[in-house]
Amino acid sequence: MSAPVITAHHHGLGLRANADAERLRRRQWFSAIGWTLCGASLTLLGGAMLSILGMVLVRGIGALTPTVFTEVTQGTGGGLLNAIEGTAVIAAGTVVLAVPFGIAAGIYVSEYRWTAWARCIRFLSDVLVGVPSIVLGYFGYITMVEWLGWHFSVAAASITLAVLCLPYICRTTELALREVAPELREAGFALGASPARVTFSLVLRAALPGVVTGVLLALAISVGETAPLLYTAGWSGYLWNGQLVRSPIGYLTYVIWAFINEPFAAANALAYAAAFLTTAFVLLISLASRLLLTRRR
Amino acid sequence: MGSWRTARWSKFAVSGALALGLAGAHGAAAAESGRLLETGSSLLYPLFNIWVPVYTKSHAAVQISTQSTGSGTGISESVSGLAQIGASDAYLSNALEKQHPEMLNIPLAISSQMVNYNLPGLNAQHLKLSGPVLAGIYEGKITKWNDPAIAKLNPAVNLPADTIVPVHRTDGSGDTFIFSQYLSDTAPDWAKTIAYGTTISWPSVQGGLGAEGNQGMVNSVKQTPYSIAYIGISFKGATDQDQLGEAMLENRAGKFVLPTDQTVQAAANSMVAKTPKDERISLIFAPGADSYPIINYEYAIIKSKQADVQTAQDLKTFLDWALRGTGGNAASFMQQVSFVPLPASVRKLSNAQIAKING
Amino acid sequence: MNFRTVLATVGGIVPASMIAVVVFLTTYAWPAIEYNGVGFLGGMHWNLGNLYADPIDLSGVQILPGASYGIFFLIVGTLLTTLIALLIAVPVGVGAAIFLAEAVPPGPRVWLSFLVELLAAIPSVVFGLWGYAAIVPLMAQHVFPAMAHALGWLPGFGEPIGSGFGLLTSGIVLSLMIVPLIAATLRDAIDSQPAAVREAAQALGATRFETVWRVLLPGLRSVLIGACVLATGRALGETMAVLMVSGNALNTLPQTIYAPVSTMAAFIASQLDSALQDPTGLAVRSLAEVALVLCIISIIVNVCARLLLAGFGARERRGL
Repeated sequence: MSAPVITAHHHGLGLRANADAERLRRRQWFSAIGWTLCGASLTLLGGAMLSILGMVLVRGIGALTPTVFTEVTQGTGGGLLNAIEGTAVIAAGTVVLAVPFGIAAGIYVSEYRWTAWARCIRFLSDVLVGVPSIVLGYFGYITMVEWLGWHFSVAAASITLAVLCLPYICRTTELALREVAPELREAGFALGASPARVTFSLVLRAALPGVVTGVLLALAISVGETAPLLYTAGWSGYLWNGQLVRSPIGYLTYVIWAFINEPFAAANALAYAAAFLTTAFVLLISLASRLLLTRRR
Repeated sequence: MGSWRTARWSKFAVSGALALGLAGAHGAAAAESGRLLETGSSLLYPLFNIWVPVYTKSHAAVQISTQSTGSGTGISESVSGLAQIGASDAYLSNALEKQHPEMLNIPLAISSQMVNYNLPGLNAQHLKLSGPVLAGIYEGKITKWNDPAIAKLNPAVNLPADTIVPVHRTDGSGDTFIFSQYLSDTAPDWAKTIAYGTTISWPSVQGGLGAEGNQGMVNSVKQTPYSIAYIGISFKGATDQDQLGEAMLENRAGKFVLPTDQTVQAAANSMVAKTPKDERISLIFAPGADSYPIINYEYAIIKSKQADVQTAQDLKTFLDWALRGTGGNAASFMQQVSFVPLPASVRKLSNAQIAKING
Repeated sequence: MNFRTVLATVGGIVPASMIAVVVFLTTYAWPAIEYNGVGFLGGMHWNLGNLYADPIDLSGVQILPGASYGIFFLIVGTLLTTLIALLIAVPVGVGAAIFLAEAVPPGPRVWLSFLVELLAAIPSVVFGLWGYAAIVPLMAQHVFPAMAHALGWLPGFGEPIGSGFGLLTSGIVLSLMIVPLIAATLRDAIDSQPAAVREAAQALGATRFETVWRVLLPGLRSVLIGACVLATGRALGETMAVLMVSGNALNTLPQTIYAPVSTMAAFIASQLDSALQDPTGLAVRSLAEVALVLCIISIIVNVCARLLLAGFGARERRGL
């Protein structure tokens, strides 16, 4: 080859090498920017989370005096004893109502999943998840508070929240039961156990952590909800008198919602204290259910 | 196997029955101690919050819970029996009275309403405002603070050129009721198009805000420069603390007055003689050179037929106490919320209505 | 009784309650549905009428003079807040998911993922409290003026910047509530992709980021869409947080992104007390109609999401 041709040939190769290097640099820039943006997203989320927790912690702990746990709410001051007790009562009622029915539905959907009824339960349960809590609260108001004449009551509040929790318990129970190996059931049947015995003593026991997660979820929901309770539980500045109907009851989220607006420092402090208690409880439950799930694996 | 299953189930059944039984017994015993729920007017709320601790100290068997939810809720929950005391700055409408003739509107005190604003640098001055000007602001016809209509009333004030942000109540509110009555009485086109009520169809004003409760109004004005709102007098402590401006309103005689004990009393004196037996009357825009134009009776909306004898008795005892000059209507309570005690003639009418409560 | 029958009956409470909710709401709202007709959705004004005037008779129905029930501004408010929430939540959620799945070492990954999921657990009213106490002042005093200054030439981004309560603030608070749904679902999906695909991409010379962005994510499109639709469903029904930061506009459409809005869920919560004042009862029933509309929209959105996600699950199980 003549010298000019060789130079031109090498020059062409060099150009292509330059183009490749250029493209590689562009791709590396793209990746770098990509990672930066992704990292920024995570930082943003983490920052927001810390901001919320920080506000609740700082202002909430500052307001947590012993009177918060020993006194009832007196107008816009006092303590949170009635609200704490009320939340506990409503949550207990919700769990007592929702857990048996939810678990039963979950068991049926898991163990008899080929039937039409199971598919129906599954579908409508998924649909129920989508119903906003305020709609359920309105439903509870029309049917129980007004129509049945229960007025503001623990019964109306617990039933409304139980309906809210049912699909979650059903779903978690079903998923937990599905994870259990079919061999366990077959072994139970082979030993002559009845379907009830197999389900409760073998399968449910094996799936217990997952099922308990569902129950904890119901607990978290009933402690954290506000909108449905506004129109079913009412408000009471005193401890629960034991009546299930025709007796309003206090709850923590009401304090957060109603007292933050008051132009009185004592009321605002109670709102933050209630926010701290509610958030702390809900986060503890989330931690507990996460630990349960990881221990199972 | 069978016995195991029965044992498990029977244990469950027994504990369930026990729980229900306990709840029932607890409930039956508790029904004997009186529980009253007061809900409604945020204007009356501060007064109830100072009444209840004092009252329950000397009447330990009664438990009164208070809620600030707006006069509309006070009325509707008292009508449906959800609450025993519906606090309201507004009396029942004719239609509601016809539907529920057993409802009583019992005045407990006389209160008034301020018009507050937040003008940076100008809040110490008392701007003069009239009903037609306020109607114009809330209709969106008067949009800037330096509008000629406002400037005419306040010639010596250097009004800013900023846009007015009118704040109104989103909840069913007795403050809305009395404010809109003032606008209806002074501005004919407001009376024709919007009229008055605990909830009205507020004309859409760009940037106008809605707030919940008197407390929300105070917060909104505090946080929003160039805003204006109508706030109940019992929140004067909060508005003073936040250094919000307070307007002087034009009364029927054409004078501009602030809501003081003297101006409110003057207005009350000119209207109380006209109070009917069912005590449903508007005290707005009262005649008199010293009268403050926005005053009202603070009502306890009570159902005359209560759920049981005990509740009725507790209600009557409490309301009697609230009306007495040595009880709830004492100067020490009234001064804390800037209310005026009921005149003797009206107190007699209220007592007559209280006597109608039975269980 | 047969164990299976007992289970079927007891478990039947779940579908029964679902049906009961819809049936009761429809029955209760029926007089309003009949009266309002189709104009309900397009009507611009929600007007309870003159509460202190006597009811009049309008073609057989007792109503207050001046009463008309239109919820167009609510529908617009709901859609706009949800849209803004998604516009913020999707990029942030995808970014966080990618970072968690690929860039974070396994140790911190566990508790960082947990932190993100905790965002979903925080009660709505606490979000509202944080929005009210921290975000609204921040927006009003710092962010909105800067935005109006820099972006004021864009329609909808200019003055007036309002009080901090409004559309953008609601969108921001809502986005934080729904981002964990997107981030967690996507992170799990990225993790579950077979290593073979990753190795193949890297053998071809792709950088780690390109592996995720150009190879893994496109295959997860339906998961992402499913998670987004699920997040939409959650955002549509949010009540308390929106109620505390949205400004609660009545009968107005937002002219700027800073203007107050109202959503259907927040409206139901705040207007029930006023509606109860209507002696004819039509206002409460119209509010029940709003609840029904919200319920149906949420259900449709949620079912679509489930179908999309189930489709992905099915393909996974088939080994595709």
